[in-house]
Amino acid sequence: MNIDNFRRAILAVGLVLPMSWTAGSVAAQTARSFGVSVSTPTVNQTATSAILPAGGDMVTNSGQSIAVGGLATAQDAFAIVSGDADYGSSAVSSATLGAVNLLNGLITADGVVAMASSSIGDAVNSNTEGSSLANLVVGGVEVSDAAPNTRMDLPGVGYVVLNEVQTTGDGVTTSGVTVNMIHVVLQQPILGVLGQVTGYQTVGNIIVGSATSSVTR
Amino acid sequence: MIRLRSLALLAAPIGVALVAWSCDRQPNALAPSIGAPLAHFQPGNFVCTPVKMTGGGRIDYPPEQTEQNPPASHEYETFGAHVMGSGQQDANGVCLADKGALEWVDHRPEMEVNGHPLNLHATEVTFAEVATDASCSDGAVHWGGKLRVQNTGESDLDFEVWDCDNGEPGRNDGFAISVPAIGYAVQCFTVTPADPTCYLTGGNRQFHPTH
Repeated sequence: MNIDNFRRAILAVGLVLPMSWTAGSVAAQTARSFGVSVSTPTVNQTATSAILPAGGDMVTNSGQSIAVGGLATAQDAFAIVSGDADYGSSAVSSATLGAVNLLNGLITADGVVAMASSSIGDAVNSNTEGSSLANLVVGGVEVSDAAPNTRMDLPGVGYVVLNEVQTTGDGVTTSGVTVNMIHVVLQQPILGVLGQVTGYQTVGNIIVGSATSSVTR
Repeated sequence: MIRLRSLALLAAPIGVALVAWSCDRQPNALAPSIGAPLAHFQPGNFVCTPVKMTGGGRIDYPPEQTEQNPPASHEYETFGAHVMGSGQQDANGVCLADKGALEWVDHRPEMEVNGHPLNLHATEVTFAEVATDASCSDGAVHWGGKLRVQNTGESDLDFEVWDCDNGEPGRNDGFAISVPAIGYAVQCFTVTPADPTCYLTGGNRQFHPTH
């Protein structure tokens, strides 16, 4: 190899390697949580939320009494998010509430804990350990220890998903999870020309106790 | 000569990049294990070195256990907490914290104040020292400062916490808190008689050895 070829090789390495190092050395995290969120054609409101900003270590928010759009009330809501601004190797978020009442008593609970945790160790991982629902009653039926993504119909209203868990990431370089402890999907029937029900359309969402965390190696 | 100088100009950034990479975080690197589970968090078993601990979680206390209490009992605490220190001591030998925060919520009915969960909020984090004789595989920190009881407005109360990162995920991590002025403590002694930390039933503590 003459000196010209050698110089070209060094130039190529110098251009390509720094780009790959930059991409590979960036670690990132997200953490957010909220107490109650209502989204309908007339109401779009989130109460007691906390979002970890870039470079932040911890954010908290609380509210003793929450009332959103005449659809949801709750007491003693706390949202806490924390993470590692320097290394981006961990994120934890939580939302806790007491005395939850949705849709004029259609759904009640006296203790909600949503907790999401993501970290980088030998592997990247996320979980919702620590999440729970206390004294949950849905349409007059007591529900204890709801399994992840438990769905119950709410006639005339839509349906509710309890302990709704959604994961993200490839488990190798990225990992994330969101848990919504109570997620009501408001629906309206779609009527055919003869007035018959041909389907349902979603017209709103009510989420109580939501926590999200994620990390990227 | 010109070619050699060009070569040097090209090689220099690569050299700088290599040095920078060597100082970068190594995600797979593990903090050294710092000892057998003997008498950690005992006075005297601390060093003043740069440290950072982050995260939050849930503890189901009492009793001293690793499992959640029945949710309807409301016997649990949730929190977020972080601390960072650069390993500097003051004239009295106190290992100073650079910054930190603590938000603590005790959901136990018997701890309610005027019908609301007890809520402790740190107003100042003053010290952070690394435990050298802890069983926490990734690291342990004893830290504290001043806090306010949000429910009553009582403020400037001394507090201290014991903070343990015992690997990933966080189910073996531990945390304990004491606020002597109001006679409040959430402490377990499950691991050893000298270790006040209670196991997390959710969340994670993350110890960061700095360099």
